[in-house]
This record gives sequence, C-alpha cells and structure tokens, in this order.
Amino acid sequence: MSEPAAPPFAAVEELAAGEPVAVGSAGPAGIPGRATSERVQRFVAYTAMFAIALLFFVPFLWSLSTSLKPLPETANFSLLPHTWTIAGYRAALLDYNFERYMANSAILAATVTFTSVLLAALGGYAFARLRFPGRDVLFFLVLGTLMIPDQLRLVPIYRMLTIFPVTHWNLVDTYQGYWAIRMVSATALFLMRQYFLTIPRDLEEAAKLDGAGYFKTFRRVMLPLAGPALAAVAILEFQGTWNDFFWANLLLQSPQHWTAQVGLAQFTFTYRTQWNDLMAGTMVALAPVVIVYLFFQRYFVAGVASAGVKG
Amino acid sequence: MAIAVPKRRLFGRTKRPGAAREALVGYGFVFVPMAVFLLFFIYPMGYAVYISRFDWGILGPLNSLGWKNYSSLWHDTLFRRSIKNTLEYTVWVVPAQMALGLLLAVVVNQKIRARTFFRGAFYFPSLASSAAIAAIAIYLLNVDGLFNKVFGLHKIWFYDTKTALPTIAGLNAWTTSGTMMLFYLASLQAIPTDVYEAAAIDGAGPWRTFWKITFPLLKPGHFFVAVVSIIGAMKIFDQVYIISRGTGGPDYATYTVVLDIFNTAIKDAQLGLAAAMGVVLFVVIFALTILQWAFFGRQEAA
Repeated sequence: MSEPAAPPFAAVEELAAGEPVAVGSAGPAGIPGRATSERVQRFVAYTAMFAIALLFFVPFLWSLSTSLKPLPETANFSLLPHTWTIAGYRAALLDYNFERYMANSAILAATVTFTSVLLAALGGYAFARLRFPGRDVLFFLVLGTLMIPDQLRLVPIYRMLTIFPVTHWNLVDTYQGYWAIRMVSATALFLMRQYFLTIPRDLEEAAKLDGAGYFKTFRRVMLPLAGPALAAVAILEFQGTWNDFFWANLLLQSPQHWTAQVGLAQFTFTYRTQWNDLMAGTMVALAPVVIVYLFFQRYFVAGVASAGVKG
Repeated sequence: MAIAVPKRRLFGRTKRPGAAREALVGYGFVFVPMAVFLLFFIYPMGYAVYISRFDWGILGPLNSLGWKNYSSLWHDTLFRRSIKNTLEYTVWVVPAQMALGLLLAVVVNQKIRARTFFRGAFYFPSLASSAAIAAIAIYLLNVDGLFNKVFGLHKIWFYDTKTALPTIAGLNAWTTSGTMMLFYLASLQAIPTDVYEAAAIDGAGPWRTFWKITFPLLKPGHFFVAVVSIIGAMKIFDQVYIISRGTGGPDYATYTVVLDIFNTAIKDAQLGLAAAMGVVLFVVIFALTILQWAFFGRQEAA
C-alpha cells in the first residue's frame, strides 16, 4: 500500500512504551454524584472489552483446540479435546511436508531480514549523515518507490525474473529470485534514516577526532546506538517475509520451494476437510510470528506505525 | 510527506577537505539499495506500460498493439465483473474497518487497567498471515463450522454467490481492525487534553463528548485510515485466491482485479493484457487517493 501521509512516529512510540495517555471521555473525578455512575460506566466498559477480546481470540483458540483433536472429534462442539493428540501436527509436518515448507520460510525470512537490516542501516546512515551530490534526489526516489503498488509490479517482475535483463538468468522458482526483489525495502531504509537523524552529532565528531573512518564510525558509534530501530526493521521484515503470500505464491512454484504460507494454501486446496491436520498446519505457520510478537511487542508496534508508509 | 531535508545546492562545489572521500563513501553505502529500487521498483513501472502495449506471450512480445489492450479491456466482461466486485468489496470493507478500528482505539485509549493486554489482544489478528486467516475462516465458516453452530444456521458462506464477497469483507474487517486501531490511536493521542477538560466542565457526557469533540477532531486520522483502507481493499487478492482456490468463485462472485491480473498473466500467459490491467488499477487507485485528498485532506491543511 502507498499513500502520501507520514507515519505518526512520536505518538506511536509513546504508545509502544505503554505510557499514560490522554483520557478519552471519563468525567472529572471529585464531582459529587459522579462516583456511582462512573463505577457503572467502568463495569460496562470492561465487560464490553472482554467480550470483544474474546471474540477476537476465540477463532484462534478454537483452531488450536481442533489441531489437538483426533479427526472424528472435530465434529464435536467442545472447546477442549476429549483425547489430546499431536497426530495432527505429526501429519502436517511429515505427511503434508510442512517440515520442508517451514525450513524454506525460515531460510528466506532469515536471509531477507539480514540483508534488509544491513543495507537499510548503511543506506539510512548515508542519507542521514554523509554529504554527496544528488543525495536529496536519490532519497526522493527511495520515497517514490513507496507509491508503486505490487499489482503493477507483478507482470514486469515476473517477466524480468523469467529472463533477467542482460544476463538472461531464469530466477523464477528460485530462492535467489525471491530474495533479490525483497533484499531491502524503502520502508526499512526510511525508518533507519529517520532514526539516525535523531542521534546527536557530537558522538560521531568525537569518533572522528579519534581518527575513526566513516565505516568505523558507523559500526562502532552509530550502529550500537540504533538498537531500537534495527529491532523494528528486523521484526517488520521478518513478519513481512514470513507472512508473504503474494510474491511467494507467484515466484516459488514447485513444491520443494513452497513457503509455509504457500504450502498452507495448497493444503486448503486439496484437503480442505482434514480439519485437525489443517489446523495443525495453520498453527505451525502462525507460530514464529506469534512468538516474536510475544517477546518483542514493543518494537512490533513501532514497526507497524512506520509501515504505515507502506501499509 | 514532511521530511526535513536540509537546503543545499544539489551539485554545489564543496571546498571542505575530505568532501570527495565522504561523497565516495556515501555512494558506496547507498549503492546496493538504490540498485534494488531502480531495478525492481522504478524500472518495472515503465516496463509495465511497455509490456501493456504488446500482445506478449510466454516467449516474449508477439505483436505491437498500441493501446489496443486497453480498449479490449473496456469490452472485457470478466474484467468489468472484477472491477465491479472489487468496488463492491471496497464499499463493504472500508466502513467496517474504519468503524471497528475507531471503536477499538477509543476503547483502549481509556484510562483502564490491563490496557496493554487489550491492545495486544485486539492487534493479534493483524499479526496472522493471510493464508492462516483464510484457513481458519474456511474451517469456522464451513457448513458444520463453529459460526453456524453458534447461530443455529446452515449457511455455506463462501460457496453462495450472495454471501461469498461480503463474508470475505467481514473477515478482513476483523483481521485489519487492529492495524486501523493503531493508526487511530496515534491520531487520538494528538488531540490536546484541555479540550476534554473544557467539555467536562460544560457537563458534556461521554457520548456527546465523543460525537461533538473526539470524532470531528480526528479528521486527519479519518483521512489517513480511509486512504490506507481503500488502497488495501482495491488490492484484495490473497484471501479470495485461497478461499476460492484461485477461481474467484462461486460463479465469479469473488473474482477481483488482482486475481484477474494473476490469472491472465500466469494461467493464460497473456502478459500484455495483464500488464494493462495493472496499469488501469494503479490509475484508479491513484485517482481515488487524489480525490480523497482534494475533498478531505486539503481542508485539513487549511
């Protein structure tokens, strides 16, 4: 997605930090007669929130429970399995090859995340700090790429990867082709640049006085200070690549190259009613991003906000 | 986009010592990203238009057609159907996403206990991949599924021409509401608190405060969320592709523009026609964004 608005950085960072925020509508405390109605209001609010939260979670819990049931039991209307079994997981991983798809996803997500972080940090540093002719024009080009939607790129990219310009490589259905088009994103580079701009210049100047070169200053001074931005970029790219269906489905066509998402989609095409196996496959495909979310929720929110540039 | 770019002459001579070296390092650091953006973003844009002017098969260009691919799209009933479906889907999903996102944002913006928990819970579906969401939806909405059981129904949601598209819209309203919530939250927190204090002193209740103060002051938020939401809706592909097994069925009820692009390019190997569709969709999205900006965003700046 692309749109011309800038991401609301500050507000979301505050949000991510979980700091107190403005009260929406609660009446002022200390006015006589308000106490009871406020208590009722609060009760209603909490009940409503629990109800919504439950509605949001139930589909996932129900699917998780199904993944732990034997197939005949999936017809039962019970939240917990009578007989707990991991047969569904064994079938998904071994019989339906999710073992392979998960490995493919892991390889691609790790490679894309690594190169994105590295290239975005280098490029972001250069755009934030180094002076070179044409810098602003180039940076405008970077932002411009955010406006170019994927569905317009589908045909030309597919064609380019079928017969690569000049070299005539066929990169369709290869990891390299998939990695090439995703190795760095404008969102990541933009995020890194914005972060580097907030770091005070004194530190670099001190390094320069000590005789450190540009690369050493970048590696020893800037990079260690950019931890939160690096984490946000890493999580953004990991989630984006792990969850990607559009490009993986287009480019990685043969079963030995399928990612977890493509494998899952193909599973639903063929064995749509093997509910326990299907839900086990779904849980496996979901797990890595959920685990990363549980541990790094803070950076997740910052990343999503900046992805607002892209959507 | 407001980005602080220091004012400097583009190719002004610099007399600083080491300027040439600094420039060289700078080019070195941005070289690979710039190469990627030029090769896989900027160049494909022009290349898409180029391809769209040919009858272009698997092996390459066959005949130059000028703009004929575009005029044949105009008479292409399936493409027209996909445009109609995409617009219909957008009309369903955008208000639902915005309303749900706003509701969640207002809820988690209250001074409440466990706010982090609720925010995390509401955002959770936005984490899940489209393929996982599609699989879960196929399961929960099948004829013997949880949803039908809870409501005592026997509907085949995804396999009935009347319900298939609205059901997918509902599904995506649910899964994207967490992201919309985050955008609205950022916008809610930009509203100064003294406005609320003034309203409270005037004795305005929460309902009145919301409609008379919060809602109108959220205008920049509405604009941003609407743009993101509409652009996302026009690009709907993953869920319809997976749920309909790539057919856009039942009976083309969920055949969307991007699905048409995919099938035309990959299944029918008509790259020229598919590229033309991509260009048309891009122009439509671009025009919609400009229109929204003209009606909504400009008043904002004033």
